[in-house]
Amino acid sequence: MRTITAVVASVGLLAGAAHAKEYSHQKYFEHYEGTKTCLKCHEKEATTFFHSQHYQWLGQAPQIVNSHGEKLGKLNTINDFCTNPQSNWIGLVRNSRGEVLTKGCSQCHAGLGALPQAKISQAQLENIDCLICHASGYQRDLYQNPDGSWSWKPVLWKNQEGMDSVSKRIGLPTRTNCLRCHAGSGGGPNFKRGDLEYALADTDKAFDVHMGSDGANLQCTDCHAGEDHRVRGRGSDLSGTDDPAKPLSCDDANCHGAAPHKAEVLNFHAQRVYCTTCHVPVFAKQDATDMVRDWSKPSYNAELDKWSATITMGKDVVPVYAWYNGTTWEQLPGQPVKRLAGGAVGMMMPQGDRNDPKARIFPFKLHRAKMPVLDGKNFIIPIVVEEFFANGNIDEAVKHAALDTYGVKDAHYTWTDTERYMGIFHEVTPAAKALACLDCHAPGGRLDWKALGYAGDPILAHLQPAHTVK
Amino acid sequence: MRKGKLLAVVGAAALATAGLASAAEPDGRVLFKEYCKPCHAANSPHGEVTPMTLIQDQWERFFKEKLVPSHKELVDSNHGGKKVLDVITPEMLQKIKKFAIDHAADSEHPMTCG
Ligand code: HEC
Ligand code: HEC
Ligand code: HEC
Ligand code: HEC
Ligand code: HEC
Ligand code: HEC
Ligand code: HEC
Repeated sequence: MRTITAVVASVGLLAGAAHAKEYSHQKYFEHYEGTKTCLKCHEKEATTFFHSQHYQWLGQAPQIVNSHGEKLGKLNTINDFCTNPQSNWIGLVRNSRGEVLTKGCSQCHAGLGALPQAKISQAQLENIDCLICHASGYQRDLYQNPDGSWSWKPVLWKNQEGMDSVSKRIGLPTRTNCLRCHAGSGGGPNFKRGDLEYALADTDKAFDVHMGSDGANLQCTDCHAGEDHRVRGRGSDLSGTDDPAKPLSCDDANCHGAAPHKAEVLNFHAQRVYCTTCHVPVFAKQDATDMVRDWSKPSYNAELDKWSATITMGKDVVPVYAWYNGTTWEQLPGQPVKRLAGGAVGMMMPQGDRNDPKARIFPFKLHRAKMPVLDGKNFIIPIVVEEFFANGNIDEAVKHAALDTYGVKDAHYTWTDTERYMGIFHEVTPAAKALACLDCHAPGGRLDWKALGYAGDPILAHLQPAHTVK
Repeated sequence: MRKGKLLAVVGAAALATAGLASAAEPDGRVLFKEYCKPCHAANSPHGEVTPMTLIQDQWERFFKEKLVPSHKELVDSNHGGKKVLDVITPEMLQKIKKFAIDHAADSEHPMTCG
C-alpha cells in the first residue's frame, strides 16, 4: 500500500499521462457511477456472477445426500453460527450507547443490499458489488437512504475524486479481497472457519506453505478460480456447490497428484488418509476460533454493551478426525431433527466409513452449539440474532425466528446440543512439520482407532510378529 | 513569511520525527481527535473530516498544498483562541498526517477517529 502511494505521488508530479498508467482501468471510464459503470463493458461477466453461489446464496447441492435435488445455500439453510440471514439481512443494530453492534448478514454478500432474486434484471445486476472482489483499496459501509432503507456504499461515496481513483484499481481478486468476507465470517476474526484468518493476507510459509509470501505466495484464486465466476471447492460443510463437475482437491493431477512422496509408505497412507490430515497438524494459529457457541446462555459484554451467545474460543486447535467420502448429511430446516448416538443433532455430518472405498480420514474443526428445536415438529429454529445482540432477550429472538421461518406464533421450544464437522484445508505447514508416524501410531496418538472402525492400531499387526521372532 | 517558515519546518520534521516519538507522547489518533475533530465532527459546518474521508493521495496533497492556505487564518477556540497552525507543532502535524494516511479510505484499515 505505502509503496503504491509513494509511486503515485511522485509520478503525479511529473505528468498526468504517466499517472494514467498506474491503474488498469484508468482509461476505461472517467467517473464511477456505481456498478452500471462496469456493466457498460462487462454485462456478460455480471450475468455469470449473478448466477453464482456467491450471489444467489443458493445452488446445486449434489453433495448433500438429503438435498433431493433442491437448490441449497445460506439463504435456505440454518447454521449454528449466525443461523439464517432472512430475518437478519440488513440494518444497523445499536446498543444503548448508540454504538453500532452489527449491520446484518448482507455484510458478507457481494451485493449492495438488495436480497438476491432468482430472476435476472437490470436492478439485480446493478446490485452486484464488483469492487469488493476486484478493486484494491475499496471499502464499503452501511448507510441509510432518505426513504429509510439501507444500502452498502463505498465509504468514499461523497468523495467522487477518491471513488474515481479506487474504482480504476481493477485486477483479479487478491487474498485480501477474499478474506474481507471469509476471515470475518461467523461474527469475528476467524470465528467460523478456523483455517481462514486475516493473517493469510500477508504471511510466511511457516504459517502456510501455499500462501506464505516467502513460499508459493498463491492467491486464493490460484486454487479456487473456475470459469464464469464459478469457484471450485465447497469443503464439507457448505450446502450449495458452484461447480460440482470441477471439485478441488490437493491430489488433483495438476497440483500434487495422488502419490507425491518419495517414501512409498506415505503414498500408501494417502489412499486412506487425506493429505491435510498429516499436513495441517493445528489450525487457528493466530486468531482463536469459535469452538462452542451456546445460544441458550446469553452473555453480556459490558465494555461493548453487547449481548452474544456464550462462546468458547480455541487457539492452535488440534483437528478431530473422521471418514469422509465427499458427501454430507445436513440437518435442513423443516425436517425433523436426526439425533446422533450421544443425543446431539448433527448439523453437517461427513458421510463414509472404513468400508467405503471412496472415503478417507479427514481433519475437521468440530463445532458444537446449543440451538432451539421446535416442540412437536422437531425442527431446528434459527435466531433473530440482530435484535438479540442489543437487548439480550433470547426467548424473543427465538420466537420471532420461529414465526418468520415456520409461521408458528409464540413457539414452544427446547434447547439441544448440535455438532458440525468443518473440513480443514488451509494453513498447510512445511513438510518437515507434517505428522510423523508416532503422532498416530503410539498409545494416546491422534486417532481413535476404534471409533474409526479398526480393532486397534493396525501397525501392531506388523510389530507383534517381529517381537515374537526376537 | 510565516507560511514559508512553517512549511520548511514540516519538511525537515518529515525526515526526522520517525525515531523521536517517545511512548508517552500522544499518538496521531489522539492528536487528530484533539486538534481536528472539534471543527470537523459529524454535522460540523466545516464538513465532517475523518481519516477515511480522503484517499491516501488526497491526504498527501492536503498536507502538502491545502492545509496552510485553508487553515492559516482560522482560530481554534478550544485552544486558547490561538491560530490553528500555531497550536499544532510540526511534529504533531506529522503524526496526524501519518494517522490520516494509515487509515485513509483506501488503506487496509480505514478509520474514523472514534
Ligand atoms: C470501457 C470498457 C470497460 C469498463 C467501463 C470496465 N472495464 Fe473492466 N475491462 C475492460 C477490458 C477491455 C478488459 C480487458 C483488458 C484489461 O485487463 O485491461 C477489462 C478487464 C477487467 C477485469 C479483468 C482484470 C484482469 O486483471 O484480468 C476485471 C476484473 C474487470 N475488468 C472489472 C471491471 C469492473 C469491476 C469495472 C467497473 C468499475 C470495469 N471492469 C469497467 C473494459 C472495461
Ligand atoms: C466474490 C468475488 C467476485 C465478485 C463480487 C465479482 N467477481 Fe469477477 N472474478 C472473480 C474471480 C474469482 C475471477 C477469476 C475467475 C473467474 O472468471 O471465475 C473473476 C474474473 C472476472 C473477470 C475476468 C474474466 C476473464 O475471463 O478473465 C472480469 C471481467 C470480471 N470478473 C468482472 C466482474 C464484474 C463486472 C463484477 C461485478 C458485476 C464481478 N466481476 C464481481 C471474483 C468476483
Ligand atoms: C493451495 C490451494 C488453496 C488455497 C491457496 C486456498 N484454498 Fe480454499 N480450499 C482448498 C481446498 C483443497 C478446499 C477443500 C475443497 C473441497 O473439498 O471441496 C478449500 C476449501 C475452501 C472453502 C470451503 C469451506 C471450507 O473451508 O471448508 C472456502 C470458503 C475457501 N477454501 C476459501 C479460501 C480462501 C478465502 C482462500 C484465500 C485466503 C483460500 N481458500 C485459499 C484449497 C485452497
Ligand atoms: C462479499 C463476501 C465474499 C467475498 C468477497 C468472497 N466470498 Fe466466498 N463465499 C461467501 C459466502 C457468504 C459463501 C457461502 C455461500 C453459500 O453457502 O450459500 C462463500 C462461498 C465460497 C466458497 C464455497 C463455494 C461453494 O460452492 O460452496 C468458496 C470456495 C469461496 N467462497 C471462495 C472465495 C474466494 C476464492 C474469494 C475471493 C475471490 C471469495 N470467496 C470472496 C462470501 C464471500
Ligand atoms: C500419513 C501422513 C501423510 C499423508 C496422508 C500425506 N503426507 Fe505428504 N508428507 C508427509 C510427511 C511426513 C512428509 C515429509 C517427508 C519428508 O520430509 O521426507 C510429507 C511431504 C510432502 C510433500 C513435500 C514433498 C517433498 O518431497 O518435499 C508434499 C508436496 C506432500 N507431502 C503432499 C501430500 C499430498 C498432496 C498428500 C495427499 C495426496 C499427502 N502429502 C499425504 C506425510 C503425509
Ligand atoms: C495421520 C495418522 C497417521 C500417520 C501420521 C501415520 N499413519 Fe500409519 N496408518 C494410519 C492409518 C489410518 C492406517 C490404516 C490404513 C488402512 O486402513 O489401510 C495406518 C496403517 C499403517 C500400517 C499398517 C499397514 C497395514 O498393512 O495394515 C503401517 C505399517 C503404518 N501405518 C506405518 C506408518 C509409518 C511408518 C508412518 C510414518 C511414516 C505412519 N504409519 C504414519 C495412520 C497414520
Ligand atoms: C478551527 C476549526 C478547524 C480546525 C481546528 C481544523 N479545521 Fe479543517 N477546516 C476548517 C474550515 C473552516 C475548513 C474550510 C471549509 C471550506 O473551505 O468550506 C476546513 C477544511 C478542511 C478540509 C477540507 C478542505 C480542503 O482543503 O481540502 C480538510 C481535509 C481539513 N479541514 C482537515 C483538517 C485537519 C486534518 C485538521 C487537524 C490538523 C483540521 N482540519 C483542523 C476548520 C478547521
